[in-house]
Amino acid sequence: MFFDLNIPIKKSPARLNTSKKSKLPETTTTWTTAEIADIERRVDVLVHLGYTVLAFSQTVNKKIDPKTHVNFLDNLISQLRTRSGIVYLKRLNIILDQDSEKGFGLVNASVSLFNAYDLIALVPTTHNTFSSACLTHSLPSQLTAHIISLPLTLPRLPYHMKHTLIRTAIKNGAVFEINYVGALGGENDSMLVEADAAENGPNAKRNWWASSRELVRVTKGRSIVVSGGIVNEADLRAPRDVANLISMLGLAQDAAHDASSKTPKSLIIRAKTRQTHRAVLSEPAVVFPANSDLAESSNPIEKLDMEDVVTADSPQPQKRQREDSGPSKKKKRKQNREDTQLVA
Amino acid sequence: MVRFKNRWILVEFIPITQGTAQLGKSTVGSANSIDGKAIWSALKQSVLNNFGDTGWGAVGLSLTVKYFSPTTNICIIRVARDQHNIAWGALTLLTSIDGTRYLPNVVHVSGTIRHAQLAAIAHNREVIARYRALAENPAAYQDSYNTFLESTEREIEALQD
Repeated sequence: MFFDLNIPIKKSPARLNTSKKSKLPETTTTWTTAEIADIERRVDVLVHLGYTVLAFSQTVNKKIDPKTHVNFLDNLISQLRTRSGIVYLKRLNIILDQDSEKGFGLVNASVSLFNAYDLIALVPTTHNTFSSACLTHSLPSQLTAHIISLPLTLPRLPYHMKHTLIRTAIKNGAVFEINYVGALGGENDSMLVEADAAENGPNAKRNWWASSRELVRVTKGRSIVVSGGIVNEADLRAPRDVANLISMLGLAQDAAHDASSKTPKSLIIRAKTRQTHRAVLSEPAVVFPANSDLAESSNPIEKLDMEDVVTADSPQPQKRQREDSGPSKKKKRKQNREDTQLVA
Repeated sequence: MVRFKNRWILVEFIPITQGTAQLGKSTVGSANSIDGKAIWSALKQSVLNNFGDTGWGAVGLSLTVKYFSPTTNICIIRVARDQHNIAWGALTLLTSIDGTRYLPNVVHVSGTIRHAQLAAIAHNREVIARYRALAENPAAYQDSYNTFLESTEREIEALQD
């Protein structure tokens, strides 16, 4: 199972609502058939190369304004052809810079906005935002940003990567992301380039090799996720090719392979815990003493109240069954069998 | 007992025209026809650009392009085992051959030529199956792909170390 967790989707703002009377924000975006065909072709190539889980990402600069923010990924996924065995996810990238040091909209008030995304990522460009991303935003909560994506193509990484910060972030469960588009000198997401978080061109390659090597050294190779960030189709590469590239950064071969398979897998499951309280996932099983009357009943056991936020559009992979908000038939049968065994 | 160990890399080059990848096999002889020599020189340039003269020194003597089929864009490359990472990395960072853009997709890496041959034959079969599915011809339709499969199978089997 191979993951590509960063497929940047750019949506040019739709025709502005020129009517001065309506004050409602635009809640739906229309996708033209040409754009959909473009994205379908990209997905075709990705599937051909061997990726099975794809996350489309929307990039926002500086801060999120709940009043004007439009989530255009919902519409997109419902319009894409469903392919068997392929999972589509939605991801939000927030570019942080000096202006967002005070706050950028990741507040409890707009939780509903963030629940629509499966993954949240931060792109810090200053030292303060980097430390807040590592320390505060990686704590388990409704608003955890599980992915910290460093701008690796900048000529001089704006902050020194302090080992303590990174260790705390990893302990809390965040992962650091490497976008392999920088290795090829390919075109980055234009929003990142505008926000001075990425560079295109021949220097970008050199900066990428230097900064990624440093990142691998500081994180000791664990909790690294490799993803695309590719804008041009021609820059896409197969997952094992990418794993080989990453192993040239000083990472052991099995760690490099993990970075595109095992680490993103646990990341996605962990990101689902945003929907739970403090990332607690287990169902408490109530065990009745064998002789009491209560053992006779075979009602499903009371569990933590978990909202199931996965939309009906995205096909659920098997690994998510544990977080379903109702016990599946298999579980019910198992519980019944266990109950009767206790009685017998 | 120091045996010279090799790695056989099976690559598929996907041509990119006008920014989009051509995934379906095209039998029509397109203007951009490349051959083994062009691949070798493009790979050499890639190693020199990305890994410098030292990289080429490590890989260059043992790098050979053993087989290339223009119809399926399959290429089998032989490298020494110790430095095959450099060659594989350079292959991944390769963007164009002879001016046209390509997407290198490494299908299989093996230590013996036998497995590389088997992987190539299996890959050819897959490509033909995909093409047949796209063409959507009735089941009894006799197309020329069987003969193509047989001839390429013979070519691949004929490869020597």
